[in-house]
Amino acid sequence: MAAAFPLGWRHVEPLDILSAAGRDFPRGRISEIIGTRSSGRTSVLHALLAASTGQGEYAALVDTKDAFDACSAASVGVELSKLVWVRCGGNAEHALRAADLLIQAGGFGVVALDLAEATPAALNRIPPTAWFRFRRALESTPTILTVVSDCPLAKSCSFLTIKMPPRRAVFTGQAPFLLLRDAG
Amino acid sequence: MFACIHGADAARLADSFSPFVEMVDEKTAVFSITRRQIRQAENLPHPVAVAATAEAAILAARNLPGYTFIPHGQEARVLGALSIDALPPDPELFETFHLWGIRSLEDLARLPQDDLAARLGDRGLWLQRLARGAFERPIRPRIPATIYEESADLEHPIKLREPLLFLIARFLHDLTARLKSQSLAATALHLTLNGNPRRHSVPFPTRDVKLLLKLVEHSLDRQPPEAPIVKIRLELIPTEPRRVQHGLFTPATPEPEKLELTLGKIRGLVGDKNVGYPELFDTHRPGLARPATGRSYLAFRYFRPPLEARVTAERLWTRMFQGKILQIAGPWRSSGDWWRCSVGENANWNRDEYDLALSDGALYRIYLDRALDRTPKKWFVEGVYD
Repeated sequence: MAAAFPLGWRHVEPLDILSAAGRDFPRGRISEIIGTRSSGRTSVLHALLAASTGQGEYAALVDTKDAFDACSAASVGVELSKLVWVRCGGNAEHALRAADLLIQAGGFGVVALDLAEATPAALNRIPPTAWFRFRRALESTPTILTVVSDCPLAKSCSFLTIKMPPRRAVFTGQAPFLLLRDAG
Repeated sequence: MFACIHGADAARLADSFSPFVEMVDEKTAVFSITRRQIRQAENLPHPVAVAATAEAAILAARNLPGYTFIPHGQEARVLGALSIDALPPDPELFETFHLWGIRSLEDLARLPQDDLAARLGDRGLWLQRLARGAFERPIRPRIPATIYEESADLEHPIKLREPLLFLIARFLHDLTARLKSQSLAATALHLTLNGNPRRHSVPFPTRDVKLLLKLVEHSLDRQPPEAPIVKIRLELIPTEPRRVQHGLFTPATPEPEKLELTLGKIRGLVGDKNVGYPELFDTHRPGLARPATGRSYLAFRYFRPPLEARVTAERLWTRMFQGKILQIAGPWRSSGDWWRCSVGENANWNRDEYDLALSDGALYRIYLDRALDRTPKKWFVEGVYD
């Protein structure tokens, strides 16, 4: 098994939670973060990117639906100057091709493939062989390929699958003067 | 001998005497002059000085009217009458000179050299040598920037990509060899085909022909020429070469050459504007603003473009989802860039934002677009907290 992702950056709470549960992101493997909207899947992804770029590594985010929020990512410590952002305009095939090219280029600490909110029709067009190709390309590299999606996609090719359960929003104050405190 | 011209068009006049001209400032040009040329210099309309040293010529041209010829060995006598302020300014030393009662260059030149060096150091000694007109230095001529370009007008138009790339590769080999001979590298590549320019900037200085050729190849793939090529021009923009010192403990990063080619391929796939590094700006515009220091925001996912919604006090409908509103927080009013137009990427904005928990279990940010010239007012779902 490849070396697990070292958690050197202490402010990354979602990763700390995972680390405490003994579930580190393995290098050279595919990991999946699965969850519905507001389940916290993006928080975990941002935390992973922050930990990677915080150590001086380069990371890449293949953003299928152009959903990335640079402001919230920067606030948890993602170094934007070390993050390559590829927007695919909803085209899952382009996203897979871009992720493949980035893995082949090598040198990235994390390549994140964000397929959340992609339409079922687009996801159905992904051939299962794509995941086998990714798994083969990742072997003996220090790169973590993280797939964020609504449902499991890589199946047996995934080394680690993190299912994010739905969580309730926490508001403070008395109605109608409520303030959002936490979510996901 | 050296000559110095001080005037508005000094550079142009100096160029008529010598190809090697040093521009001391915008109005002062100094150059080497021959005996035959000295007579021509007498008739120039600006103050001109000829002396055995460049600094003496500069001092005389700047401070004496008309034409001045300083014979060798007579520099101190000719320059002696000038005020001490004619020398390059040095407030600390000038204050000392003032206290000593030194008012002219002659006063300074007469001081004993060893004693001056003991009291004022090298800087004082240098000023005294300037005052005596005895400071010798070679001139530093301006060297025009070399343009690294190759061009060809073709008798037979090139219709296919391969012959075109073959020709470009030949140009690149020649140009990179010229860059290498000058210890330079390319930072950008400007290719003009039939008069249509294409500019490619390389994020790091390089002389790698393969890499530059691949960049051109990707560009031609993305945007093929509209007509057979009859005219081609290639220019490399020179810069200092890259010097990198690798550390034993620095994490591995993508090889710049490989990364650039990979990004080039991805650009061909998803478009030029969709690949890059995210950047935040000094603005309050939603989605572009820098986060406040020390504050952690909930992770957010945008719907781009925002989803148009229908909102009542109890329910929300969009084309993607609908549900009962369980909790709602807000409004937070946000507006800005009122002086801009109301359409386009940089349009003004004026809106009321709400955080909204829906019965589908998700937490959304919605807003009411309140821009004055946009009626009727519409609701949008901007994204989801995740």
